[in-house]
Formats: sequence, structure tokens, C-alpha cells
Amino acid sequence: MEEKNLYPTICPYCSLGCGFFLEIKEGKIAGLSYMPGHPVNEGSLCPKGNASTEVLTHPDRLLHPLLKTENGWKEIGWEEALSLAAAKMGSTLKEYGPDALAFLGSAKCSNEENYLFQKIARLLGTNNVDNCARLCHASTLTGLGKSLGAGAMTNPLSDLENSDCIFVVGSNFAENHPVISRWILRAKERGAFVIVADPRRTPSTWLSDLFLRLRPGTDVALLNGMMHVIVSEGLQDREFIRKRTLGFERLEKILSEYAPEAASAITGVPAGDIIKAAREYAKANAAAILYSMGITQHISGTDNVIACSDLALICGQVGKKGAGIFPLRGQNNVQGACDMGALSEYFPGYGKVGDKEAAARLKKIWAAEKLSEKPGLTTAKMSEAAHAGKLKALYLLGEDPVNSHPDSLNVRKALEKLDFLVVQDIFMTDTAEYADLILPAAAWAEKEGSFTSTERRVQWVSRAIAPPGEAKADLEILQGFAEKLGLGLEYRDAGEVLAEISRAAPMYGGITKERLLQAYGVSWPCPESGHPGTPIMHTERFNTPDGLARLIPVEYRLPAESPEPAYPFLLTTGRTGLHYNGGSMSRRSSFLLEKEPELFVEINPSDAQTMKIEEGNNIILETRRGSTQAKARLTERVSRGVFFMPFHFSGTNMLTGDALDREAGIPEFKVSACRVRRV
Amino acid sequence: MKEVLIRPELCMGCRSCEIACAVEHSESKNLFAAVMEKPTPQKRIYVEYVPEYNAAIPMTCRHCEDAPCTTVCPTKALKQDEITRVVTHSTDLCIGCWTCSMVCNYGVIGRQKEARVAVKCNLCPDREIPACVEACPTNALVFLEVKKLSGVKRTEAALKLARGMQGKAL
Repeated sequence: MEEKNLYPTICPYCSLGCGFFLEIKEGKIAGLSYMPGHPVNEGSLCPKGNASTEVLTHPDRLLHPLLKTENGWKEIGWEEALSLAAAKMGSTLKEYGPDALAFLGSAKCSNEENYLFQKIARLLGTNNVDNCARLCHASTLTGLGKSLGAGAMTNPLSDLENSDCIFVVGSNFAENHPVISRWILRAKERGAFVIVADPRRTPSTWLSDLFLRLRPGTDVALLNGMMHVIVSEGLQDREFIRKRTLGFERLEKILSEYAPEAASAITGVPAGDIIKAAREYAKANAAAILYSMGITQHISGTDNVIACSDLALICGQVGKKGAGIFPLRGQNNVQGACDMGALSEYFPGYGKVGDKEAAARLKKIWAAEKLSEKPGLTTAKMSEAAHAGKLKALYLLGEDPVNSHPDSLNVRKALEKLDFLVVQDIFMTDTAEYADLILPAAAWAEKEGSFTSTERRVQWVSRAIAPPGEAKADLEILQGFAEKLGLGLEYRDAGEVLAEISRAAPMYGGITKERLLQAYGVSWPCPESGHPGTPIMHTERFNTPDGLARLIPVEYRLPAESPEPAYPFLLTTGRTGLHYNGGSMSRRSSFLLEKEPELFVEINPSDAQTMKIEEGNNIILETRRGSTQAKARLTERVSRGVFFMPFHFSGTNMLTGDALDREAGIPEFKVSACRVRRV
Repeated sequence: MKEVLIRPELCMGCRSCEIACAVEHSESKNLFAAVMEKPTPQKRIYVEYVPEYNAAIPMTCRHCEDAPCTTVCPTKALKQDEITRVVTHSTDLCIGCWTCSMVCNYGVIGRQKEARVAVKCNLCPDREIPACVEACPTNALVFLEVKKLSGVKRTEAALKLARGMQGKAL
């Protein structure tokens, strides 16, 4: 037998944090093998996990720093590249002040990298730092932050197995996080009742006992309707409400307007089904709510999240085995990037920007004299500021806004307006084409660092192979950049950065590299070294100052756009099983691409018939922002009047709008008014 | 014998099994290299989407008793083990006539175009558990004896019945 070494690693795609082994032979990837002991996935992987090693060895990998010249890209050395980046950012800072700079962090990068990244931004005097959580779960942070005191998943994923009722709203987990199905199916084998609320009939709805097909953007009406039933039938948990929450009276008042018939008129879900769902959820011994971007990506995203939380709280379904709120994050380190403070309004550990105490603590750790007290620009506002000429220089870490942000034509124009754009990535993305300077980074298996999964499990990834060409680990690049700027951020390795994180972010207090190397990581909060970590949160008290959860009434509001005569259809977006986000990784996997090669749009057959569209026709979709071409796929999965497009191809986000949730700043990807014609 | 049995109600259609199967039957057993191999490694399990029922069903060789494919094979490339019932295929003997594909009730005998030989599930002889079963995130594929699976299903059905009697489900 040939000698193969097994390196434990964590999947770089979605946020579940599945483990597997990389097989390394003579310093090269020789395959992957399963890790049956891992508590999240028990070995198995979804197609993206199975295909993950293709990214590492892909011929498109960026190998040298590249400088844009009149004659195209020119390979340059690291010394020149980093000096240039620092000189440009430095001169912008001098000429226009710190708020002319912005930094967009990466939910694909490690905790240490995001920590260092936001530290650089803040030391330069700006809070213009953000990450792609702004586009997927910012509303979870604000919504659950307000109601529970912590915007994070309450229980481990495997705990779903212990649930008696699982209410899934706005999540197609079977395609996007297939491993979740494992735990839900196990609960079903034990007799659990599964409710799925979604505008589309997805593989996730196949396993439901009750499918609520609601109109896109009407989640608050559905949730309030269910709470109305629960309260009017006296199914709420009175003791829990009295002992552990505040604000029930105000909530109760608003619920009176959401009788099942009224909720049914808004959502399109039969009143009987709303009643049935409410009873099943409220009567279960342990009930879980699972949600994802179907809830968060709306102008009412924060309200949607709060309504989910209200439902769980009035039934006492938080803080115990099998009962909790499960927001499913989209990327492997969305949770970590937020925990690290790669956010315009939060410092590491969620100290609010502007809060004197939080700033004082950081100043001490960082030996910094001054930190800006003004919240910075969110991703969407960065675009706006670039258009207005206020933002001059942008540092992008592993982000592809051209494909992943809404209204992409507008994003392209904003990038063109910048004086200086540096992009650090592993592939040449559509965004990198706009860069002045490209820095080739290492992929996850080529560097070390910690990643925090959606269930708050912090896990360590060790370096298994060397990066290709001259590509470098992001931490090394950022340190080089900081050194050129004279910020002097010297750390021996990622472990030393983590040691600083454990001082800056209280919930990482007891987390060290050594601990993470043992037994599948630690779940935060882990405030001190002897602490075992916290798989289930809120068992005794909530993270609010008085320990009580807040019940917050929320009203149903119309989406920013509704179908109208000029744009009579409603376009909603999401993911498919075989691709991932902007597609810069999954569209480079031949295995995945073979199955899902091009952009398609799902149309209900009866809509298609009236417009004389047939299966496989090329059609043009238009919204107020732009137009794009896609292949028609006729399916009953979508209702009449609703179209669905995956956002893995560059056409989709030309159509989506940039209306924002007023609290979280998340754009409403899920609802756009559109029209269609044949090519 | 243990078989790859399918629990169609658990399949979410993610196609992990297809990828794992193709990789296992490649020269290198590594996805990246497998893509480059000639002939291209092929899967022997197929996830079929049935739009009318909104369901995805994995289909693979059932290793039928008195398997029709083995009885029609003119060169004896397909053989069935009398005791284990496993139907194996010899690429050396296969002449690519596709008679086996014609008679297979499940359409799970594929065709390797370049080499002109039949391709079908061999239950991964080098492994304890076939690759597809190990890859399945939802346990829709199990490697069990029929008797054992029936037992599991009986227990589950009994649970559902008991639940009904309790009048819990409204």
C-alpha cells in the first residue's frame, strides 16, 4: 500500500461544519475520506463537500500577485504588491480621511483572519468594515440579539433529533444543508411532526407532515396567525412567559388582528393549516424552529426573525433539549466573521460601536489611543458611498459582490468609481476583474485557523498542503500589509491571534488552539479555560442585562416591491443542491457543473402556457434594475405568478433590488417584481 | 446477504451517492483526478427525480434472484454468485452487446462508451460498506439484510400506529 496521510479538516462550503479527512500523498491531495466520528455529519457529506477538493487543485487558482496595467494583468512580487496596497490606502487616508477607506471581510476566511482584518480597519480610524453576513443573516443578529440577547443558534444541530415538532420556515435545508435532513429524519423516526413553510415545493417539503405554501414575504402574517391561535386557545406556556420573558401584554394586543382567516388572506395558506401548525408546535414537548434566508432576506427580515423568536418564547420552546431556534447560516464562517467584529456596528464579541465600555476594553488590548465612535458603512452603503465619491479605496477579502450583491449592474458601476480596489481571493472572480491589485490567497486546507459553524462550534483547521504558486495564507498577507502601514501587528501564528481573540471577545474567553485540536472543537460561550463550552444556550437565563427575553410585537408589512401591471410576476431567489453562492467555487467543479450547467428560471406550467413558453426555451427576465437571460424550467414547484431563480450564476443579481431592512441593512433578495418575454 | 437497500421516503435528492460511486470506481479514487481520467469514471447508482410525485428515488442494481441479466449474457461476463447472490461483471468477457441492459427491469446497467463494456453496481468489493451508502447524508441508502430492514420498518410503523391510537395527531 502507498503511504497516505490523513489530515482532519472542516468542509469549506455551508455553515454546518462537517468534518472529513484530506488524504495527502507526497504533499499533494490524493482524495478525501469520511470521518464517521464527527458529531455533525457522522461521516457523510453532501455533493459540495464531496467535490470540495476540486477547488484546491483547480488550474484557475491565482498564483501570483497581479497588477492591472494598460496591457492587462502583470505578475508582480509580494514586496511590490504589499507596498503598493499600503501606499494607496495610506495616501487615501491622508488625503480624504479614514472614512474614505472600506474593508469587506470574508465569511470564507478564518476567525483569526477576520479579526485581524477588522482590527486593521479600526486602527486606521474607520468602522467601515463588514462581511457578507450583511446579505444573509444580519437580521438574525439584530432580531435574535434584541429578543434573546444573542444572535446565534441556540442548540446543536444534532439536537434536532430530540425534537417532537420541527417547524421549518424559509429554508430549503435538504438542498442547501443536506446533512440537516439526517437529524430531522431521525426525529421523524421517533415520531416527530414536521411543518415546512415555503413559497416553493422543495425537496425539504417532501418530508413534511404539513406543508404551508405561503406567498413570498408574508412570513410575519403566518407567524402572528399561528401565535393568535396559540394564545386564543390558551396553548401558551404561561409559567415560562411569566418567569423568563417581558412584554407579553403588548404582543397579545397585536395578535388580535391576526385571526387565522385574516392571516390566510395575506399568506394564501388555508386557515385550517395555520391552526393545525400552531397546535402541533405548541403542544409538542420539545419543538424547534429552523429558518434561513427565506426569513432573513427581506426588508422585514428583522421583524421576521423576531416573530420566530416570539413564537418560540410564548410556547417556552427555548433553552432545553430538542427545543430552540435554529438559524441556518450560509457560509462556513459567517458566524465567526460576525463574532470577530467584521461588522460596521459591532466590535469583536458584539460590543456596540459607540459604547464607551466596549471601546475602552479594546483600546487596552490593542494599545490604541483612539477608536472611531461612529458606526461604519454596511456593504450596501459602501456601494452608495462609492457612487457619491465619498469612498475612495476598498479592500475586499474573498468576496465577490458583483455576483453576490443585489442590483449587480449598480455594484459594477460603484467598483469602477473607486480610486483603488484590492481583491484578495483564490480565483479570478467577476469582481476581481475590477481590481487594481489582486493578491492570491490560500484556500482553507492550505492554512491554519479556527472556523465557527452555525451551531457555534469553533473548530480548528490545520494546514494540510502548501498553497499553489506564490499564493499565501490570508493572515500572512494581512500581516504584511499591516507592517507596511506601520501598524506592527506581529503574531507568530494563528494560535497567537486566537489568544488575543479570547481576550477581545468574551465568549471565546476559554478557547485556545490547543483545546480546539482535541475532539471536534468547542461551542461558545466558553468564557474561561476550565469551561466545557455551551451546546445549549439560554437554559437558565437569556443574554440580556436582566436575563429575561423580550417579546416584541411585529406587524406584517408589504415587501418593497409587489407585482403590478408593468412587472406582473414575483421573482424569488435561492440556492440549488449542486451549486454554492456566487459560484466562484462550485462552478469550477466539473462534477457539480455537469449536473447544473446554466442559469434557469422555474415557472409554473399554467403561467408558461399563457405566455407560450415551453420547457427549455430561452427567456428574458426584466426588473427595474436590469434584464437577464435564462432557460425556462416548467414546474409545479412554484405557484402561479411566482418565478424562482438560483443565484449561482451572474445573471440573477442583475435583477434583484437593493431595498434594505431598516435595522439590519439586509437587502430584499427574495421579492422582486419582474416581467418576462421569449428571446 | 447484505444488500444496498433504498428507503425512498428518506431521499432528498442530493446526489452525494452518485459522486461517491463514480469516485470509488475511478482509477485514482480521488475526485479531482477522476474527472481527468479516460475513460471517465461512471456512477452505478442513479438518483431519478419523479416530478409527478415530487420525489427523488435512488436506483441501483438489485442483484435479483435468478437475475435476468446473467441468464441472457452470451459470454457469461455477468455472473451471479450462488450463495451471496451478488451479480458481478467481467470487463474482459464483455462484448458490449447490451442484451443485459435490454432485460434489466430497473435500467441500472449503464454503458462505458469508450471501452464498450457494461457498467453496473458491484457492491464495492474493496470496501466494508459500499461507497454510496457511506456517502448518503440522510441514511436513505442502507447496507442491510432484507430481514433487518423489514424489522426496522415494522418498528417505525408500530410507532406511528401507537401515536395514532393515542390521538396525538390532530
